[in-house]
Amino acid sequence: MFNFFYNSNIFTWIEKLTNFINSIFFALLIAGLSFALVFSPPDYLQGDSVRIMYVHVPAAWISLASFSCIALLSIFNFIFKIKHLTLITKSIAPIGLMFTCIAIVTGSIWGRPTWGTFWAWDARISSMLILALFYLAFIFIHKLVSDEDRANKISSIVAAFGLINIPIIKYSVEWWSTLHQPASIKITGSSTIHSSMLMPLLLMFFVLIMYCALIFLMKYKTEIIRIKKKNLKRL
Amino acid sequence: MINDLILMNGYGIFVWSSFILTFLVCGIFYYKTRKTLKKYEEEFAKEISELSVEQKKIVLENSKIASKILSSYNKTI
Repeated sequence: MFNFFYNSNIFTWIEKLTNFINSIFFALLIAGLSFALVFSPPDYLQGDSVRIMYVHVPAAWISLASFSCIALLSIFNFIFKIKHLTLITKSIAPIGLMFTCIAIVTGSIWGRPTWGTFWAWDARISSMLILALFYLAFIFIHKLVSDEDRANKISSIVAAFGLINIPIIKYSVEWWSTLHQPASIKITGSSTIHSSMLMPLLLMFFVLIMYCALIFLMKYKTEIIRIKKKNLKRL
Repeated sequence: MINDLILMNGYGIFVWSSFILTFLVCGIFYYKTRKTLKKYEEEFAKEISELSVEQKKIVLENSKIASKILSSYNKTI
């Protein structure tokens, strides 16, 4: 199965997928922005500032999902030594870091009108900052450690430790008394968000997921070319 | 109506700055990723062209990925 990610067909698939995403992306983006900024109603308590949610929440979801994915693939790679997984995790990490930073900054901007401050050393915000540090550590290990096997081992350990932080981020609002509000959307149980806000939120999440897929495909292609270039030098 | 959209009852500065920042960062990241990919494709194609005819033949016969990289690069130029 993992050979699929490293055979010649992958290039054909990358091109097909990239073209498909490019063809639908701008229509989706315009629809998502129209709903987020114009058609969705203001919140009864927070007013129009709630619209920040349409970028903040998807960014936070993507950052958590990306790190979970990196950590699980790294652990799998640590045990089974499948080199293609390293290419995947290395391609996901910068995307995850970018969305973690977006989630922190937009959350901070949202905090000003709702909490009266841009920053507080709140459990949710602090644990998100720690997540960003784990992303940085993961990326810099691959940049600074020249021996690839060693870099993979160290980054896998870092990712495994970072995985502990994911449930802490998720449940921080329940375990501690925080400024951050509890989750409005629950996978199990009923959500407390109205459908008029949930639909634009899911649409914006889908738009950003498409963007992530586009970046991931380009980064993955770059990683494969980088390896092939190294192999050329051995000739 | 446009005024309402811009001001958003006093929250406009927060909402617009969040959206602009997000999409600006995403745009820059997309541009940089694409530029890096093109750079690598170009360097790879250049290194292939510098190989001897025999070496080139060996590389392209043994690595389907290498020939795919070249064909995708040739499509973009």
